[in-house]
Amino acid sequence: MQELISTLKQQIVEQLNLKHIKPEEIGDDQPLFVDGLGLDSIDALELIVLLQQKYGIKLANPEEGPKVFHTVRALAEFITANQKK
Amino acid sequence: MNKELYINGIGAISPQKTFDNSVFLEEVLSYSTNKMMCVDPDYSLFFDGRAIRRMSRILKFGIAAAMIAIEDAGKPELDAISTGTGFGCLEDSEIFLRNIVAENEGVVSPTPFIQSTHNTVSGQIALLLKCQKSNNTFSHKGFSFESALLDARLNALDYNVQQNFLVGSSDEVSTASYAIMSRMNIFRKEPCDNLAQLASSGKGVIAGEGAAYVVLGKAATENTYGRFVDVKMISNPKDEATIEKAIHAFLALHELSLKDVDIVISGLCGDESRDTLLKHCNEKVYTEQTIVGFKHLCGEYMTASSFAVWLGAKMLKTQQVPESVVLRNTARTPKTILIHNAYKTSHSLILLKQ
Repeated sequence: MQELISTLKQQIVEQLNLKHIKPEEIGDDQPLFVDGLGLDSIDALELIVLLQQKYGIKLANPEEGPKVFHTVRALAEFITANQKK
Repeated sequence: MNKELYINGIGAISPQKTFDNSVFLEEVLSYSTNKMMCVDPDYSLFFDGRAIRRMSRILKFGIAAAMIAIEDAGKPELDAISTGTGFGCLEDSEIFLRNIVAENEGVVSPTPFIQSTHNTVSGQIALLLKCQKSNNTFSHKGFSFESALLDARLNALDYNVQQNFLVGSSDEVSTASYAIMSRMNIFRKEPCDNLAQLASSGKGVIAGEGAAYVVLGKAATENTYGRFVDVKMISNPKDEATIEKAIHAFLALHELSLKDVDIVISGLCGDESRDTLLKHCNEKVYTEQTIVGFKHLCGEYMTASSFAVWLGAKMLKTQQVPESVVLRNTARTPKTILIHNAYKTSHSLILLKQ
């Protein structure tokens, strides 16, 4: 799990072009949107693309988005659960 | 339709250091090239880190040029935003298309797609300013900026004197567009000295890019540069007589004749096949005027005439004609300026007055 979390942080920084942030500066449980990392709706779309391109997972239910993308840990857990299926 | 508008603020980002309004071409950059790119200001002064991370070059220099003009005008509330662009946001369009190919038409990153449209710059300006008023982008090749100017004049037809309009244009040189147009023999084959380019006659132009914006107001302010009087577009004039007739008619519409014009800003681009009519006008029509060039400073692109408006406005305010732009000096002081631009066979006339 920790390895996946580290990889995800790197991929998020790269995909979202977060030049002012180093991957290790993102907390495992830090909220990604609004008050946390400050991501917005276009970033949410980029994360959906990242999930599909890198992990082959489609977010079938959009209502799950806020929960899945809440933190890097939540995202890692979602990937782990869905890749096992 | 005689509605003059005051030029109350200007901003330009170009291959010259034009982003600082406190100076006027004090240092002119010399290039040995066939492609001139914008000199970037410190964009962190205009955008925060979150906003800038998604922006392509045209977005950065387009929006920043608009912000310089708005700041220069004293940040008035805008009643309309009218922009022109020949090719729109090319860099993002290319990234989007490359991603489609790479992903075999599968899922691609949405950001380049969202930002690939022609109206991205004007839309982003409106978002940053929270301006929900009229917002138009015109993309008509060599008449794109001129159409935006005409839009501002149409917007100014009502009787509210407090109105302000942002008008400008942006175009960028991208890797793929430069490669494609090079194959079409549009650009000079060999790098050439930009400052000597207009004096030489050769085949092909130096590719250019840039953004220039003006804030036009119905009322003058302490910062007013001069007046934008009118714009005229002449598509594909068939011969010298046609263009001469159009020039005289345009001036007569404003109760002027050629003797009233002090400076002509000529859109000579250094390509002998494109410059024929402009050269004729400079030699046979504009005989008493000081002739000024500008494409040796910014290169050739579809909306280069906005750079000429920036140049004209600066000359009207400072009452100076920098040596670096003079092609023929008749020692006239800049009070009435006629911009005669041409992009291929699209000729335009823009009249500015003190």
